[in-house]
Parts: sequence; structure tokens; C-alpha cells
Amino acid sequence: MKVKTPTPTLLQKLKRFFMMDLVKGLGLTMKYNLGALVDKDAVAGKGIYTEQYPKVRPDVAPRFHGAPRLNMDPETHDTLCIACNLCAIACPEDCIDVIAMDVEIIVAGKPRRKKVLDEFIFDTSRCMFCALCQEACPTSCLELTQDFELATYSRAGFVWNREMLEQGRETVKYTS
Amino acid sequence: MLLLAPINFLDEFLLRFFSAQTVNFIVWPLIQIGLVVTLVALWVAYATYLERKISAFMQARLGPMRVGLWGLLQPIADGIKLLAKEDFIPDKADRWIFFFAPYIAVASSFIVFSVVPFGPDWAVIADVNIGLLLVLAVSSVGVLALILAGWSSNSKYALLGGLRSSAQMVSYEVSMGLSLIGALMFARTLSLSGIIGAQGSDTIWYVLYQPAGFIIFLISGIAENNRAPFDLPEAESELVAGFHTEYSGMRWSLFFMAEYAAMVVVSAVAATVFLGGWYFPFVNRLDSINHNLFVAVSLLIFLTKCAIILYVYFWLRWTLPRFRYDQLMDIGWKWLIPSALINIVLTAIAVFVVQALDGWKGMKTIEAMNMGLNLTATGKAIMIAFGIVGLFITGALLSRINWRSRDFNLRTQRRNIKLVNVPQGKPAVQTN
Repeated sequence: MKVKTPTPTLLQKLKRFFMMDLVKGLGLTMKYNLGALVDKDAVAGKGIYTEQYPKVRPDVAPRFHGAPRLNMDPETHDTLCIACNLCAIACPEDCIDVIAMDVEIIVAGKPRRKKVLDEFIFDTSRCMFCALCQEACPTSCLELTQDFELATYSRAGFVWNREMLEQGRETVKYTS
Repeated sequence: MLLLAPINFLDEFLLRFFSAQTVNFIVWPLIQIGLVVTLVALWVAYATYLERKISAFMQARLGPMRVGLWGLLQPIADGIKLLAKEDFIPDKADRWIFFFAPYIAVASSFIVFSVVPFGPDWAVIADVNIGLLLVLAVSSVGVLALILAGWSSNSKYALLGGLRSSAQMVSYEVSMGLSLIGALMFARTLSLSGIIGAQGSDTIWYVLYQPAGFIIFLISGIAENNRAPFDLPEAESELVAGFHTEYSGMRWSLFFMAEYAAMVVVSAVAATVFLGGWYFPFVNRLDSINHNLFVAVSLLIFLTKCAIILYVYFWLRWTLPRFRYDQLMDIGWKWLIPSALINIVLTAIAVFVVQALDGWKGMKTIEAMNMGLNLTATGKAIMIAFGIVGLFITGALLSRINWRSRDFNLRTQRRNIKLVNVPQGKPAVQTN
């Protein structure tokens, strides 16, 4: 059987003779090299995409959900949490535990009992950062921040208590 | 200029202790050798840095940035790491050959620097009158190192890498040597300084006379150094790391250094023979102002030319994919060697024509013959035209011959190896 091969046109022959594809490829790499040296816009395809992460912290998306935080009143430094348990109910992963306690207070001369927050357990290993708890919170106390460094050395480290949620976890910030 | 004054001072200082002969032939060469070895080692180290940076830029990355400013100390950190690493010798390896192969590789590429003319006067260690021959001869000893390394490792990948490198380097050595002959017809000397001097007195770079020769030399130089797209001996995807699969630590880094030093050698020879070496128009006038300044500027010009050719190396490496083995042999035997031969014939014809035209109907093409072939403007124009036309003639002729040459081979192979109508025998019966 004879295999029929298409005969190239004159233009194709000339392209092959002058190695236009090689020239095109070399031009592309040169374009990137020059683009990297003058550092044009990376999105246009001529700059440097690399982020220097520990040195320069990247900008996350505005709607990014990261590490949780319990907000406090900026003046009195009391927690904003009223221990209403709505976040724990809203959580689809069941990773929030709100532990409340009753305290005796005197309102208008009469002794009353008030439910206040004792401990707040947030299991970040089970959290999927859907921010439904943030939506449910009536006092905008629980908030998912833009912080994304959540790694720890042990499983237990993923479970955040009230102190960690209020103060933020201690992480080493690399600068060089 | 003040910086260069100590050279004269040092010369006078040395002459107080030694005789003029000792100073000129022993003390100064030793100083030069020390300087060249140090500088070349540094240059090689920073060539790796440049390679990483340029490859990163071509892929929209940053490259090494962590060690020092812009990662400038990265080669030093790498060197310290490699020195501290374990130097592992496989159990079944041929110990002594395994031990010596890297040293042969490094020595063969470093010896060549003894004749490379970095600049005029004191910037060249030895001006041998067979310089080019020595370069070709010594640099081809490097193949031996790769074969020995591949053989002594006692590993199939290393052996295959060694085999490939030997076949590749033997076939590209031929076209590399042949491509230089055209330029030698103009220079009329094998001394590297003499070739540069001939280009200087002719006030031209031989790349204009010899575009075909330059291209052939560059391609076969890249193949000779086992660089991508011809890095078959160390093809990662096929042979792990080729001939240096079993090497580690400092011995591996010696191979690495040898590769980069060989690259610098090829670019230095290409710059010398085709790009005029340290010769650059109008720089000669500096000589009357300050001799040492002239030498330093020439040195810089030479290194710049080398750097440009090295950049072409990196550029090609990060643009082209690796050739298949049959394609590699195709380019070597079907394209480069015939085109080098055609180039020699065409150059000989061109030189003959120019010499015949001299004095014909009052035409003057040759100015002088005492230092290479010095042509007048008419002669230069004729020679450059010959060079460019010759490039196209060579290309057209070879593409006519090689057009579908592989298809042809496949067809004959198909005819010889009968895949259909194989006589059917009895099925194999398992005995025992």
C-alpha cells in the first residue's frame, strides 16, 4: 500500500527553509526575558509571576475566609460574644462549641442572672471556612479574618480556644 | 589608569630579584595561570547563576533570590553544600577510574584556557602557533572522561549516557574542526592571537566572511558540550542523569564545572575565530594613550563577546526541546558535515576569485598578505557576498538532498522487514 503524503506548498517550504518556527520560539523566550527584566504587568503575560511569600505577604482576595477571630469591644476590651449559640447551630460541620455560664449581676437594684461566655472552642481542622457562623453572629463578634497561616505541628493545635481566638495565634513572621 | 599602574611596578619589582628570562617565562606565566584559574572558576560558578536566572526569566519566574542580594551568593552556597555532601562511590564501581574521570573532565577543559587569548600582550598565557589545533585536541579529551565515568559507574543509565556522549561527540567533532578551516584560509595561521591580529589588520570580523562556518561551529559546539537541545547523554527523562548518575558531592560538581568551562571554551574560540576576539573598531587608538588601559579594555571586549555567545547557549537551551537520537545523528552527518565541506570548497573558490580579480582591469582587491589575507573594500564586498550566497547555496543544496530522506529510509525498512504474511509456525510449547 502506498501512503499518500500531502505535498507542502511553496510558502510552507520557505518557512521550513528559513526555520521560521525556530525564530518564533526564540522570539517568544526573548520576549519573556526582556519582559522580566523591565518587569511589565504579569497578567499581560510579560512579567514575573513569582511572589516572594515570606518576605512580601501576598494580597488575598477580598472575600477570602481565613483564621477565625472573636472580636472585642475596642474600648472596654470585653468580648462582644453574648453566648447565644447561633454560630454553633449555623455551623454545618459542627466545629464550634460555645460554653456559657451564669453570673449574678445587679440590674436596677435587683439581683439578676446573666448568661455570659465562658469558653469558646473552634476546631479549625474541621472548619471549611464557609463563614455561615459569621453570618449568624448577631453582634459581629465571630469573624473569619484574612489570615491564612493555620498550620501547626499537632492535631491538637488545630483546636483553638477562646484566648487564641481573641488574641490571635502566635506565628513566626519571616521577613527575609 | 591608576589601577593599572601596579602592573609596571610589579614587573620592575620582580626584575630586581630574578633575571629577565625567569620573570618573563616563569614568574609572569605563573601569576597569569593563577589569575585565569581563579577567574574562570568564578566565571563558571556565576555562569550557573546566570543560567538559573535567565531560565527563570524566560519562564516568568524570579530564580534564586534568597542568598544575598538577588541571590548573588547562591553559587557560593551551592559550592559549600556540595563540598559538605557525602562523596559516595558505588560498591561495584571501578574505583580508580571512577575516581579519576571527573579530574580528566575538568583538566581537559581548563588546559584549553592556557592558549585562549583574553586580550593582547600580558592578557594571554601562552601564544602557541598551533593554538587552534591544541584547543580542538585537548577539548576532545573531555569525551574520554565521560566514557570512563559512564563505564566505571557500573550502572546501566551511566553506561548508556557514556555511549551516547561518545557517539555524539565523535560525530560533532568532525564538523566542528571542518567549520574552522574556512576562517583559517583568511587568517593563514593557527595561532589564536594571530587569527585576531589578522582580523584586526583586515578590520573585519570573520563572521561576515564565514556566516555558514559560524553557524556550523556554534551548533556543533553546543552538541560537543552536551548542552540542550543536544543533551542526549544526560537526558533526564530517559537516563536519570546520564553519565553522572552515580556521582555525588564534589565529584559531581567537578563534572558540572567541566561542562560550564567547556562552554566558556567554545564561546571563547567562537569569539576569537569569528567575532574578532578582543579586536573592536577604534579601540586600537587607546594603545597610544595607555598600553595597560588598552589591554584592560580589550579584555572586557573579549569577555563581553563570550558572554553574548553564552547567552545564546542559555537562550537555545530554554527554547528548544531535546532532539531524538536519530535526529541528532541526522543533523550531525547529513547536515553539518556536508555543509562544512561545502563551506570549505566555496571559501576556497571565493579566495581564488578574489586573488584572480586582483589586478584584473585595474581592480584592486588585496591590500596585503603578510598578516592574513587583507582585502580592500571591493574585496571585502565580494567576500561578504560570497559568504551570504554560499550560506543559501549550502542550505538549498542540502535541503534538496535531505528532503524526505528519512521517509525514504523508512520505506526501505518497511520493505525489508516483513510485518505482514509472517509464516505461522507452531505455538511455543513450554517444556519442563
